[in-house]
Amino acid sequence: MGVSMGFWLELAASGLITGGIYALVALGLNLQYGLMRIMNISHGEFLMLGAYLTWLAHTVLGVNPLLSLPAVALALFVLGLVVYRLCFRAIARGAPSVEVIEARSLLIGFGLMYLVQNAALMAWGADLRGYSFLTEVVEVGGARFAGNRLLAFGFAVAASLALLALLRWTIVGKAVRAMMQSPTGAQLVGIDTAVLHPVVFGAGLALAGVAGGLLSMVYEITPSMGEPYTVTALIVIVLGGLGSAAGCLAGGLLLGLVEAFGMHFTSPSLKMLLSYGVFIAVLLARPKGLFSR
Amino acid sequence: MNTNLRQTLGAVLAAGCALAALPWLLSDFLLSLALSCLMYVALASSWAMFSGATHYLSLATSAFFGIGAYVTAWGLGTLPYALAVPLGGVIAALFAALVGAAVLHLRGAYFAVLTFGLGELVRHAITYFEKTYAKTVGRVLTEVPEAATVYLTVLAIAVAAVAANAAVRTSRFGLALAGVGADEERAQTLGVNTRQAKIAGFALSAFFAGALGAAIAVRWTYIEPLSVFNPFIGFQTVLIAMIGGAQTLAGPVASAVVFSLATELLRLQFPYAYLMLLGLLLIVLVLYLPGGIGSLLKGRWARA
Amino acid sequence: MHQATAVKTLVAALLAAVLAPAWAQDAPVRIGYAIARSGPWALGAQLTQEPNYILWADQVNAAGGLSVKGKKRKVELVGFDDRSDAETVVRTYEKLMGSDKVDLILPPWGTGANFAVMPVVQKFGYPMIAPTATGRKLLGMKNPYFFAILQQPDRMMNALAEFLKARNVQTAAMIHVDELFGLEQAGALEEAFKEKGIRIIEKKSYPLGVKDLKPVLNDIKAKNPDAFIALSYPPDTFLVTAQARELAFNPAAFYAAVGTAFPVYRDKMGPAAEGVMGLGTWNPKMSAAAKSYFDAHVAKFNKQPDRWASAHAYAALQVMQRAVEKAGLDRKALRDAIANGEFDTIIGKIRFRNGENVTTPGVVSQWQSGEFEVVWPPDRATSPALHPKPAWR
Repeated sequence: MGVSMGFWLELAASGLITGGIYALVALGLNLQYGLMRIMNISHGEFLMLGAYLTWLAHTVLGVNPLLSLPAVALALFVLGLVVYRLCFRAIARGAPSVEVIEARSLLIGFGLMYLVQNAALMAWGADLRGYSFLTEVVEVGGARFAGNRLLAFGFAVAASLALLALLRWTIVGKAVRAMMQSPTGAQLVGIDTAVLHPVVFGAGLALAGVAGGLLSMVYEITPSMGEPYTVTALIVIVLGGLGSAAGCLAGGLLLGLVEAFGMHFTSPSLKMLLSYGVFIAVLLARPKGLFSR
Repeated sequence: MNTNLRQTLGAVLAAGCALAALPWLLSDFLLSLALSCLMYVALASSWAMFSGATHYLSLATSAFFGIGAYVTAWGLGTLPYALAVPLGGVIAALFAALVGAAVLHLRGAYFAVLTFGLGELVRHAITYFEKTYAKTVGRVLTEVPEAATVYLTVLAIAVAAVAANAAVRTSRFGLALAGVGADEERAQTLGVNTRQAKIAGFALSAFFAGALGAAIAVRWTYIEPLSVFNPFIGFQTVLIAMIGGAQTLAGPVASAVVFSLATELLRLQFPYAYLMLLGLLLIVLVLYLPGGIGSLLKGRWARA
Repeated sequence: MHQATAVKTLVAALLAAVLAPAWAQDAPVRIGYAIARSGPWALGAQLTQEPNYILWADQVNAAGGLSVKGKKRKVELVGFDDRSDAETVVRTYEKLMGSDKVDLILPPWGTGANFAVMPVVQKFGYPMIAPTATGRKLLGMKNPYFFAILQQPDRMMNALAEFLKARNVQTAAMIHVDELFGLEQAGALEEAFKEKGIRIIEKKSYPLGVKDLKPVLNDIKAKNPDAFIALSYPPDTFLVTAQARELAFNPAAFYAAVGTAFPVYRDKMGPAAEGVMGLGTWNPKMSAAAKSYFDAHVAKFNKQPDRWASAHAYAALQVMQRAVEKAGLDRKALRDAIANGEFDTIIGKIRFRNGENVTTPGVVSQWQSGEFEVVWPPDRATSPALHPKPAWR
């Protein structure tokens, strides 16, 4: 079959690109869960909102999608503040234990999922939407990639690294990590959860929205596009270790690679089984995830 | 068997007998509506039996339901309906036991995440299997039982589910499950085999979901992976049980009936907004009434 | 007293004026249906099917009403969301036919939903003409009240095979989606190609919702087939087009089944759509009737109909309309009129045999300069085919 080194490289690159997108989507959810134990099952719906907003800006106002990304991030950040205040703040305060917070936030996430998805359905209809952007093919080392996919990948990696740097080296980042390790201890030292929690939640949604905006350049947009990404994001953050940003990136890339190579050697039909197989295997071997502390 | 339990079981059986007359009293549509109510009574009760007690939130109801539906799809040609239905339950239970043995040692959050995608996983697995070995993806059911038979079967499953919930709650097994939910480590140190209890509880609740899938699938004539593994079923089950109060006995039952009727009314009157209303309802309930409506009820039916 | 009597007379007169038109009018013809407005089926249902129901009803009422054996009566649509759920489909039609006793029914979207309604339709005896249901199994149920107006897989795949044979295509690579639709089309394609002597050198399948087909396309590109056929659903149709372009995989013939007929395909793919073929029956250039349908659809919904099943959905309503004109609302007579008649519609003549539309041929269409031209069969073609396919732009 004449399979060259170049073929494997392209396969790997393909897997990494898909994986990078998975990681980007998972980053926001990871922040919310790691800090606040909020299992936001509706995460994908905010990705979908980001996609629609970017599409709207592009088709109605003629704005370059890249330029609308910061606006989308801001819009979703503000939305995140509102959603946190209305839906999740009360849970964090009133719950007797962490498990209960997780359980209740899971259910609220469920409710949000149906609320947001159907609001989008009412607003924009069930039709497929799409636009073309940056589809020019870029040649990298003999392999060919669409510009928009490379962009999504590049952004995913950049965002993950930026987040990692933020968490490790800035005061805010240290505060967040402190809160993740020991909520009471952090409060004793004067870190204010009332400010930090909504900000982190909003940041999570903003990341989801930006991921959606990037994805809208590559794939088509429908009100139900978000759900599969939620499932994948959940797998990624569990794989990488709940709360670990580096784990998130690594987990996403790993999942992408496993899917790409797995599909080649077996069949594309087994993609889901492969993802789940990896998921279960990792959890059995290392129940706290690959990179947890 | 204590008196409370005996009285509860008696009441459930009596209700069942009364409801058995409906096929001869109602129109097709109203009977279907009743069927829908009973289906969710069974699903919510069996879900509450495990997840309500142990706080291990299972989002896998759709997976078990779909497995049961496929047992009917494969077996109805060779087996009678009366056998296919319990078989659907048994196979779903076995599957749950298998999955449970692999992942029930995980914490609640991991467990919930895993069950969330389980429906997808089973759907893809069945699609692959069917496509590769049976060279088909959907199955057509040509000889199906009458509407009255289907209704009575579902009624029987609902009665069994509520009865099982009642019986389990007062048994040692139920206490073990509640112990897991209250403080799993302490239960273990007290000598409860939490692993076995969890697996058994999970499997038992899966049995009812599977049997329901096997019973109801005949109404659709055509079984295909995409339609029988419908995540909305899992969502509604959780919603109904939580609204009703997953720790109570009557909560899920009353909630299932009210909910099914209300959704149908909303769907018929507000065709576009009702799903949004449902989502909103869930959020409001979790925030302001986390114990569900059942926690408002006093007395026997709240604790049974 | 005079004042009181005057007031009473005035009120009576007003009441009469308000109520009289209602008394004088006939009851409207009630047409019931359930269709997906939410859930996975909604995409297709809201693009291809429900808009046509609404458009038709509006047009009929604007013209004075539906002619029932000579007498005109207004049409009232009674539609519900079936949530892409088979159980809801069954229950809703039980309500419509059993409890509400509507005069006519229209079908839901998709093969799965139509299967679910079949027993109910047979029990209550309402004829139903389905524009988005395909499959031998469906017709194999031999339900006398069910009519499929969309071309079945063997018809479409035979047309494709004929077209390719006429272009001397010898080898082909095929991928299909792991759903009943994909399987049936694949089966029909294999038979048709075998008969025409076209060799299938690669065959792969993939699950619905796949996000990356590059590995598969790379394999196929290496084998250099004359034709590439993707028996795909909309998301994969878009994916396979974008990724083939990424890989510069440009066979002489490139065909993607469902989704190519959607206007959004052209919008999203832009110039890359040029030369791509797919399932399609018509376009506004075919006839004056087709053009006026197209214009009316755009005027009402601000979006174009798709170039395949949309027209079949509208044509089904035209068939129903003509049949009711002749046979009235007696359901048995109506069924017979549909089964035995020949009808003029925007897609040409329609005649059924054993529930299948046997007059609309299999068609191959191709995007050329922004329109999905019909390129096969030659007597229906609106433009000659571009073969080989031009390079990706």
